[in-house]
Amino acid sequence: MPARSEEELVEELKREHPELLVEAVIHRSKRVSIVAKREKILELARLLRDKYGFTHPVSAGAVDYIKEGRMQMIYYLMNPESRFMLMLRVDLPRDNPRMPSMTQVWEAMSFHEREAWEMFGIDFEGHPNLTHLLLPPDWRGGYPLRKDFKGEGVTP
Amino acid sequence: MTEPEVKPEVMRISWGPQHPMSGQTRILIDVDGEVVRRIIADIGFTHRGIEKILEKRTFIQGIVPIERMVMADTANIALGYVQAVEEALGIEVPERAKWIRSLICEMGRINSHLYAFGLQVECTGYFPAVFLWTTVDREVLLDLFEKLTGARWSYSFFIPGGVRADLPEGFRDEVKRAVKYLRRRFQDYWDAMVENPLFEMRNRGVGILSREDAIRLGATGPVLRGSGVDMDVRRDEPYAAYGDLDFKVITEKEGDCLARLKVRFHEIEQSLNIMEQIADEIPGGPVRTKVPLFPRSKPGVEALSRVETARGELGVHIFTDGGMKPYRVKINSPTLRNMYVFERLAELDKVLVADLPVILYSIDPWYLDCDR
Amino acid sequence: MAERFAAPIYGVIDYLLTWARKFSIWPVHFVTGCCSPEFMQVSGSRFDMERLGVLPFASVRQCDCLMVVGVISRKMGERVKYLYEQMGEPKFVVSVGACPTGRGPFYDSYATVAIDDLVPVDVYIPGCPPRPEAIIHGLMLLQEKIRRECGFRAGKE
Repeated sequence: MPARSEEELVEELKREHPELLVEAVIHRSKRVSIVAKREKILELARLLRDKYGFTHPVSAGAVDYIKEGRMQMIYYLMNPESRFMLMLRVDLPRDNPRMPSMTQVWEAMSFHEREAWEMFGIDFEGHPNLTHLLLPPDWRGGYPLRKDFKGEGVTP
Repeated sequence: MTEPEVKPEVMRISWGPQHPMSGQTRILIDVDGEVVRRIIADIGFTHRGIEKILEKRTFIQGIVPIERMVMADTANIALGYVQAVEEALGIEVPERAKWIRSLICEMGRINSHLYAFGLQVECTGYFPAVFLWTTVDREVLLDLFEKLTGARWSYSFFIPGGVRADLPEGFRDEVKRAVKYLRRRFQDYWDAMVENPLFEMRNRGVGILSREDAIRLGATGPVLRGSGVDMDVRRDEPYAAYGDLDFKVITEKEGDCLARLKVRFHEIEQSLNIMEQIADEIPGGPVRTKVPLFPRSKPGVEALSRVETARGELGVHIFTDGGMKPYRVKINSPTLRNMYVFERLAELDKVLVADLPVILYSIDPWYLDCDR
Repeated sequence: MAERFAAPIYGVIDYLLTWARKFSIWPVHFVTGCCSPEFMQVSGSRFDMERLGVLPFASVRQCDCLMVVGVISRKMGERVKYLYEQMGEPKFVVSVGACPTGRGPFYDSYATVAIDDLVPVDVYIPGCPPRPEAIIHGLMLLQEKIRRECGFRAGKE
């Protein structure tokens, strides 16, 4: 199957799977952003990997929008054929950030999800080893990358 | 991190963070006799919270902390950040500045690959001579850096809107002379490393990573290209002056430690070619556009810039909220991705304890980049 | 009477002892942060640390100098302390770079600590990263300090 271009991917996703998406936009050339529904994210991820060929995981990280009371988890993905960056986003409520772990689809998201867990406190259901990655194992200082994190030089 | 349970016949060895060959990380190894059953990378020993620090700095101040991510390759790292800032703030860069950026980035790439050579030879254990060669040859590049930017390693030379200064007089000739010298030296390296049967024995067929696994596990940089995947941001998504420059993307099929080393070797050749091209063909003109000292962003803009550093693809994703500081900076670091590949290698291929440092340094880890 | 003759002899012994000691500083192979490439350059042949008798060595128990090269994170901090405690006397600590000395560019980070909270330091070398000349100067200052303070009769006069 020939690799889809950015426009073709967005068109096809909007046409065939509107129930999985909140929105799909092209930011600029080679940057596509898809916002998924939280309950359907696993389904969409499997679809992206198996049907659309996004087999190359790049990274993952979160953003804390404190004023809007939400967090956004972003997965950066790539198709080795078409080579544009796909950002798969999912909005999570800030008071209870839980989502299924994408390690079930892309194994290599393990490190990035552990990082998001310790930095933002996002709980990934089904992650095999959700432990501290970068911070010391006895860290008690809270979630450093959240916007309301106060401790500069907190002693754990 | 909490340590998982150990099987009774397996012994767990803790390697690092104080070990000549481990670097600033701790690696837990489950060994069954001589065979490594499982590798667990306990990273985070150099975590400085750069992503949080960048939220507290203005756009231009942020160049200093982010450069400290990879000291041997600061040019590429700083370029990733500066390009993201330029995209987010809508700043144009003059053509000559782009060429100067490419020149310094290629010099940084050679500088960093020399580090990889030195350590890969050092950890095969029998000739530290090559390691000392690399320190001498790096001085050639460091002198050029110093002449151009005033600093040897962390030069903060790229700023939003261009570069800080123009090339000094006679710099192009010096670049050409350095290229000529380095070409001759790299022939020596090739003879001492790849042509050396002892070195080849320790590296060929060790730590094999297949093409499918490299893609699936998210490898990047020379690790990915050493497994035969033809991906390079410089060509796929040209930034700086790479659209106008003539270079090849190097791939090797074998996917073992020697293949990764060869990729770096041939990449250096390409980098030297690029340096020569730039010294010959660099266009004239200004080197920076005027940018206010504290530029203010528009709210709700985001910009993801990707650059190919010596270790692989670096992504810097900036989110703005209308202030003078970025709202959030997400750094996709290359070594973190390669460390995951390293963790999984023991399951993909038979790894012996003695080969472990060779494999670790064939992915060229830079833990400060990994931990941020 | 004996003391009158003993003093010059002690002086000679002291001289020899500190001379030997100051030209055999063995720092441990332990890098905490990003000044490591500059440290490598200093051990390379252009600047050549070994002419000062500085030879990086693998095991901490055989070393007498802990060179803390680069930023110390919270996780690394306890290792620094642990390594320092394992070293045999006499032991010296050199803080290389702005980060261990005063947390440098990461002064407001949640994850870094300054070296003064962990171990006593003999020589501070500022710079980010310090130039090779600065590192060599720092090592020479350490030699001076050994010359003055680590003799047989140190602290007895």
